Amino acid sequence: MIVTGRVLMQYKVENNNNALWVKLAFRLFFRELKRGELTIISAAIALAVLTVFTLSSVTDRIGQSIDQKSNTFIAADRKLGSAHPLPNEYKEKSLEYSLNTADQLYFDTMLFANDDMQLSSVKAVSKEYPLRGKIIIKDTLSDQVPDYSVTTGPTPGNIWLSESVLYALGIEIGDSVELGAKNLIAEKVLVEEPDAPFNIFSASKRVLININDVAATKVIQPGSRVYYAMLFSGNEENIVSYYEWLKPKLSENQSWWGVKDRQSWLSGSVNRAEKFLLLAGLLGIMLAAVAIAVSAKRYCENQYDPVAMMKTLGGSRSSIRKIFMLHLSLVTFFAIIIGLIFGFALQLVAIDYLSENMDQALPKASIRPWFISIVTGATCALMFSLKPLLDLFDIPPLRVLRRNLGDSIAVSRIHLLVSAITIFALMLLFSGQWMTSTILFFSSAALVGILYGISRLLFKAGRGVGLSPGSSWSLAIASLQKRASANSVQLVSFALAIKLLLFLFVLKNDIINDWQSQLPVDAPNAFLVNVTEEQLDPIEFMLAKEGISTTGFYPTVRGRLNEINNELLARDYSEQDNEKKDEEAKAGIGRELNLTWLMDIPSQNEITQGQWFDKDVKGEASVEEGMAERLEIELGDIIGILIGSEKFNAKVTSFRKVNWSSLKPNFFVILSPDLLSHFPATYITALHVPKESKKSLNVLLKSYSTITMIDVDSFIKQVRSTVDQVSIAIGFVLIIVMFCGGLVLISQVQASLQERMQEVVILRTLGAKGRLIKLATLYEFFLLGLIAGLVAAIFSDIALLLVQQQLFELNGKLHPIIWLVGPAVGASFVSILGYFMIAKTLKKNTSDLLRVMS
Amino acid sequence: MTELSQLNIIQVRALSKKVNTLAGELPILSDISFNVKPGESVAIVGASGSGKSTLLGLLAGLDSTNEGEIYLDSEPLHTLDEEQRAALRAKSIGFVFQSFMLVQSLTAIENVMLPAELAGHKDAKQQAINLLTKVGLEYRLDHFPSQLSGGEQQRVAIARAFVGSPKILFADEPSANLDTKNGQLIESLLFELNQEKDTTLLLVTHDEHLAERCNRILHIDGGHLINDSNGSRAHAV
Repeated sequence: MIVTGRVLMQYKVENNNNALWVKLAFRLFFRELKRGELTIISAAIALAVLTVFTLSSVTDRIGQSIDQKSNTFIAADRKLGSAHPLPNEYKEKSLEYSLNTADQLYFDTMLFANDDMQLSSVKAVSKEYPLRGKIIIKDTLSDQVPDYSVTTGPTPGNIWLSESVLYALGIEIGDSVELGAKNLIAEKVLVEEPDAPFNIFSASKRVLININDVAATKVIQPGSRVYYAMLFSGNEENIVSYYEWLKPKLSENQSWWGVKDRQSWLSGSVNRAEKFLLLAGLLGIMLAAVAIAVSAKRYCENQYDPVAMMKTLGGSRSSIRKIFMLHLSLVTFFAIIIGLIFGFALQLVAIDYLSENMDQALPKASIRPWFISIVTGATCALMFSLKPLLDLFDIPPLRVLRRNLGDSIAVSRIHLLVSAITIFALMLLFSGQWMTSTILFFSSAALVGILYGISRLLFKAGRGVGLSPGSSWSLAIASLQKRASANSVQLVSFALAIKLLLFLFVLKNDIINDWQSQLPVDAPNAFLVNVTEEQLDPIEFMLAKEGISTTGFYPTVRGRLNEINNELLARDYSEQDNEKKDEEAKAGIGRELNLTWLMDIPSQNEITQGQWFDKDVKGEASVEEGMAERLEIELGDIIGILIGSEKFNAKVTSFRKVNWSSLKPNFFVILSPDLLSHFPATYITALHVPKESKKSLNVLLKSYSTITMIDVDSFIKQVRSTVDQVSIAIGFVLIIVMFCGGLVLISQVQASLQERMQEVVILRTLGAKGRLIKLATLYEFFLLGLIAGLVAAIFSDIALLLVQQQLFELNGKLHPIIWLVGPAVGASFVSILGYFMIAKTLKKNTSDLLRVMS
Repeated sequence: MTELSQLNIIQVRALSKKVNTLAGELPILSDISFNVKPGESVAIVGASGSGKSTLLGLLAGLDSTNEGEIYLDSEPLHTLDEEQRAALRAKSIGFVFQSFMLVQSLTAIENVMLPAELAGHKDAKQQAINLLTKVGLEYRLDHFPSQLSGGEQQRVAIARAFVGSPKILFADEPSANLDTKNGQLIESLLFELNQEKDTTLLLVTHDEHLAERCNRILHIDGGHLINDSNGSRAHAV
């Protein structure tokens, strides 16, 4: 043993020359790179990095753009509003967070011009308004004059009026308008404000003035109903930090919100688009990870012979470990760099395309796409290669004599577990959302498990099928059976890729169709409010004469939700009137509600709990589910309603889900007719007014001074353009994910190519014609693709049904068409891919193939 | 270790090898004993499945024994773990295989340099050039295995086997994959270098002519050493 010690010591001293193994690792890397042996793993990592980089930077920039664009709907990133003046401290503090602010005041008042008067909604704004978006104005009322955008409101002494106010007052641009004690010059026609209200009940004819003119008008007196708002914009992180400071200071009557917080058509659309982008990104990551997992195993298997040889030639385990760890690091590093370069270039092209189509410059991407794509590439390469690498280090040197030694190393549970944890961690890193990641991950894991079981059964069952030997079909089925285990893995990968692609494709179409169906060309673009009962018939007659259809007239009564089960709810209070806050009261709505009574449930409403009113209903109420949750109302609770000085109770018998996205009047509380029908009510309706009828309708309505027409055309135009842009973005993201799905399919076909080549050589040597081999391959891949496509279609339809209902609040439905499209796409794509790969091999002559195989 | 044992570069005592199969333990080699002197050339012959390749694997330390002792260059191979056996191979053993076993991604010269580099030799490149010149491949240094013919690949393998001047050379059917002309060329090269470098040669073959060129022939049958006879070069030892 003394001799042994001497030998080893000498060996170790010699072997300690680190430069040699580093040199060897670099040499192997460059040689294999040059010979194309690293193409699959490098391409998989590079494409994963490329996909994740492009996807995350595009979604990041689109997400920011959508946020910014949608923020223009409140003219800011966040808005703080109250029925009482906001403390100066709030604005002063915001400067410390580098936030921009603007002030707003809303109040309703009468405008006078010559002998006419008009009740109008006044918005007084500071010079910083709007912080996001632009104000669209015109210089005259003429249709011939184009409108244009400006980024600041009127200067002191001027007033901008909406067309309907100008018509109602019968004035032209340049005329004088009396607002309280101050005369203002009608300077511009107000066409569109970024934060034009979409609250059809509170809006009336709109005018814009400078906030510095408010004091001179003397219209705000103690007791006046005024709404104070402060707008904020700036870096999102700073806004969040500022809100952390602000939150404990906010009183009951002060509310802080962003565009996504409010129940509106837009908030629903923005949230849905962002969910889709997130989902697409997660699926992209899953596909990229699968591609790397497949190629990493293949990469390690390719190194079995060199490792066995090195061990035979005396290479120590530690040297071999170092060489191949460095080798893999070089592959990963190189592939990540390539992925980033191409990803950056693709992202530039994508952003250029999207900016052009979205007619908007996209914001700069953050550092996140770089970080997340590098982490994805490196983590996937390391974690998916870890177990195969450990197996590689265990390859016995005896493999040089027994060629198949080590080939039987199966995919271990540890490898599966490590890979699964890695994918989940990456999904979590990308989304930052436990719930979405968990649902998506476990549903996919379940799918993989079920698919694997099904595919094993299918291939086993196929063993009974007998066909004449020597036919292409016979060879194809024999191949499928022989590689039952490998084919099961392939089938799962194919099916997973096809399933995810079908899933996203159908979801994209459903989302966009849903948006478009809610915004048809003849969608309501105006509302008539304050229609009295006496005016109903003449108005209906007038609209019919003009050929204008309505959504029906809803009666409304303004009232306050005062109590729940005899417990008083807090209400707005006026400090100016020395009112005291109801300290003991439960948090309430804080404002009056528009109540209605109906016997039939509106079409855009759906009962989620309880029962809708029956024929003999008495004293019942139906409450919107969000409001019920907020105020902790249970079915059977008694709510107290206060209308003027009259108080009455109603029993809550149902909760409703309201489609706030519909451009129709919606109500938080609907009461049974017996409770409300005796109160004086006004009516409201939504209608589609063609552009050419607008002017004449305004003139006709002039004789009904109490009726207000709220034109939401510009709002719809804005929403429609946002939807169009988001649709383009979603389509683009889908293309990237499809690209990634294609990569999974290619890497899977590549993985089985070596074994197939051996068979090709044997068959060729035995004299099989190229056509027979090509057809056998074509049929084998055709069957694989067909089964994968069918299973994928079934599972994606089930997943779609769940996701549409649970995540996207869409009406879940089945899509029979994909049951055909799935197998057709799977069979054709997979078989064409396999066919061309084998056809390339068959171009070589048999002796060349033999040499390559040896 | 006895004085006699120190005269032998390989000593095998009561060597047995069994493998586990579904049907139970299957004996591959049973009670094999023999010695090999330094510089001697020994052919191990036998029918397919007789256990000759298993014996070669055990002698080279590629596999571990179940029973018995093997001393290789005075080292008790049967007591060494895999790392120690690898160290011994790096220092004392060269290999030539039937299927050449060249690393496909390395050029001819890099394949030859590989064992010297793994052993930490700094003059690996010069050694490789000298040996490749010796086997007549000085113009093919930068060719990859796939660019070489079978005979050329085996010549690269022989050059690789002699790099670092190993004391023992193991060869597994070195000419079985080659045509007659190339086979003879390889065999001649092997014996030439064996003599020139004073290397002990142990080769597994079923080629009687090749076996005859060795000093001794060990006949294996059913895992037993049934005959230890002299070859035509018996006088050369």
